[in-house]
Amino acid sequence: MRVRLIYSPDVVEKPILAEVISKTGLLINILEAKVNAQKGELVVSIPSSGEKLEEAIAMFRRAGVKVEEIKETLKIDQEKCTSCGACISPCPTQALQFSSDWTLKYEEEKCVACGTCVNACPFGALTLLEGSEG
Amino acid sequence: MNKGDRRIRSVKEINEKIKRGDAVVLTAEEMIKLAESSGVKAAAKEVDIVTTGTFGAMCSSGVFLNFGHSDPPIKMTKCWLNDVPVYKGLAAVDGYLGAAALSETRGFEYGGGHVIEDLVSGKEIELRAESYGADCYPRRHIETTITIDDLNQAILVNPRNCYQRYDAATNSSDRILYTYMGTLLPNYGNVTFTGAGQLNPLCKDWNYETIGIGTRIFLGGGVGYVIGEGTQHNPQSGFGTLMVRGDLKRMNSRYLRGASFYKYGVTLYVGIGIPIPIINERVAKTATLRDDQIIVEIRDYGVPSRPDRRPVIKRVTYADLRSGKVYINGKEVPSSSLSSYKMAREIAEVLKKWILEGLFFLTEPVEPLPRKGRLKPLRVRRKEPTVRELMRREVVTAKPDEKVEEAARKLIVKGIDHLPVIAEDGRLVGIVTSWDLARAIAERRRFLSEIMTRRVVTAREDETIDAVAWRMAQHSISGVPVVDEEKKVIGIITTDDISKRLVEGRSRV
Repeated sequence: MRVRLIYSPDVVEKPILAEVISKTGLLINILEAKVNAQKGELVVSIPSSGEKLEEAIAMFRRAGVKVEEIKETLKIDQEKCTSCGACISPCPTQALQFSSDWTLKYEEEKCVACGTCVNACPFGALTLLEGSEG
Repeated sequence: MNKGDRRIRSVKEINEKIKRGDAVVLTAEEMIKLAESSGVKAAAKEVDIVTTGTFGAMCSSGVFLNFGHSDPPIKMTKCWLNDVPVYKGLAAVDGYLGAAALSETRGFEYGGGHVIEDLVSGKEIELRAESYGADCYPRRHIETTITIDDLNQAILVNPRNCYQRYDAATNSSDRILYTYMGTLLPNYGNVTFTGAGQLNPLCKDWNYETIGIGTRIFLGGGVGYVIGEGTQHNPQSGFGTLMVRGDLKRMNSRYLRGASFYKYGVTLYVGIGIPIPIINERVAKTATLRDDQIIVEIRDYGVPSRPDRRPVIKRVTYADLRSGKVYINGKEVPSSSLSSYKMAREIAEVLKKWILEGLFFLTEPVEPLPRKGRLKPLRVRRKEPTVRELMRREVVTAKPDEKVEEAARKLIVKGIDHLPVIAEDGRLVGIVTSWDLARAIAERRRFLSEIMTRRVVTAREDETIDAVAWRMAQHSISGVPVVDEEKKVIGIITTDDISKRLVEGRSRV
C-alpha cells in the first residue's frame, strides 16, 4: 500500500521512519521525499497488509505523523489517449508502460503523483486527481 | 537486368484482383512473419500488397479553406478560427490554417492542429476576420461561427509528412528540457523517439519504386494522394518525406489529433497508410525490413545546436528503442515513443480491410520521388554578435582554498559580481557570486571551496549572444565564464555587458 506521511514541525527531525522499519522489519520503500526544517512529506510504499500494515500505520500516528492512504492518483481519458508513449519514459517509477498490444498500461501502485506525465502528454489525456498532488 | 528488377505483377493486375476479390493483402507486420517462415522469394510470389501505417506528430500540416462570400462581401486580410491566426495572403475568402499556429488567447494549449481536429469532429468554430475595405469588398469586419459543412472546400495539404525515420533524443544537460521530442529528463534520464519503423510507408519502399506523385493513400481516415516529395526530403540519408493532400471533409478525427507539446508548441498527429504493391522482389525485400534493421541515431538535445549538429550519443535500432530501454555510457536509460505504434498498426489494418472489401484501388505514380538530394542548413549571412566580441578578457579569479573575506574584498575592489574559481592548472572548478559571499559571511563560512557552485553554467566564445542570453535566463543567472575546450577560463560575460551593448547599439542609430 502507498501512503503519504506528513511530518509536523515538532516531529520533522525525529528518525520515525527508521524506527518503524527497524521495529516492524518491513522493507518500506521511499518513493518521494520533501523535507525541510518546517515540514516533511514522504510518499512510501509499505509492502504488507493486514495486522502488520495496521501496526506500522499506528506507529507512525503515535509518533505524531499524519498518514494518508493514496488510492487513485492518475486519471487517463481513454478517448483522448492514443497510446503514443510520450508519458512512458519521463515517468520516474515506471508506472506507465505498454502492454503487449502497445496500449498504454498504468499501474496504480507504482504512481507517486509527481505529475511529470501530465505535462508530457500531448493530448491532455492525463490528470492528477484532486488531493493527490505531491 | 538484376533479378530483383524482374516484374512480378503490375499495379493494373493488382487492381483487377481487387475487383475480383482475390488480392492477397498483408500488413507489414504480417509480411515480415511470412518472409521469416517462407522466405522473401515465396512471399513476393504470394503477396500482392503490403499495407503500412504511421501515426505521429507532423507539424508541417495544414488545411486550405474557402469560407464562401458573406453579404456584403469582405476581402479578409486577417482571419482567426477560435483565435488561431489563418494565413490570409490569398484571395478574399481563401485561407491556410497551419497545424503549428498558436491560439492568440490560449497559447500552447490550443492551436491549428486542434482547430483541424475540431473541424473534422463537426464542432462549431468561431470565425473572425478583418479587412481594409474596397469598392468591391465593402465589409471591414466579420464575426460568425462555422462548421466544416459550411465551408466550400477544406483540403488538407501537408508540405512534410511521413518521415522515413527520425533521430531519437536524449538530454545530457542538468536541466529538464521540454522539446518537440517531448519531456527530456536531465543527465540522460530518458530517450524519446518517433516513427513507425517496420510499419512506416517509406521504410517499406526504401528505394521509392512504388510511391510517387499520384499515389493514393489513407490520409487522416479518408482517402488522400501523394503530391510529391515533402520539404526537407533527404533520400540519400534515408530521411525521405512526403507532401500529401486529401479532402478534410471525408476524414475522421480519430486519425487527426491536435496536440500540445509542453512549453514547445502545438501540432497535429496525422495518420497515414500507404499500400505497397509488390511489383518485384526488391520491393518485397524492403517490405520485410524489421525494426532491428532500421538504424536510428540518438542525439543530445542538451546541446542547443541545429538538429544535424547535435552530437550523436549512440546508434541504435527501432527494436532497441521499442524494447523500452537503451544503454548510454553503460547506464540503462528508459526509452519511449512519441508516435503511436498501436494506431500505426490500426491504420495498416484499416487500409487492408478497405482493399479486401474492394473500396480502395491502387494507383501507379505519374512521377517517382527524387532519389537524390541533401539537406542544406540556413546560413546566417548577417553578422550576429558573438561572445568573443562582448566578453571581458581580464577575468578576476580565485582559488578554492581562498578565504571568503579575501574573495569578498576582490569583488568590492574590482566592482564585479562573479568570481570564477579555478584549479592550479587554470581549469574552472566553481563560481561564487556576491550573493554567495554575503551569505557565506552571514553563516561564518571560511573557504570558497565550501560555498562555491560546482556545476557552472558556461559559454564558448564562438556562441551567439542570443544563445547565451537565453541560457542565462533559463538558469536565472546574471553572468557566465567563457571557457575553451580544456575548460580553462578565457573570459567572462554578464547581463550588464549585454545590456550595455544594446544601449550602445541604440545610441548609434
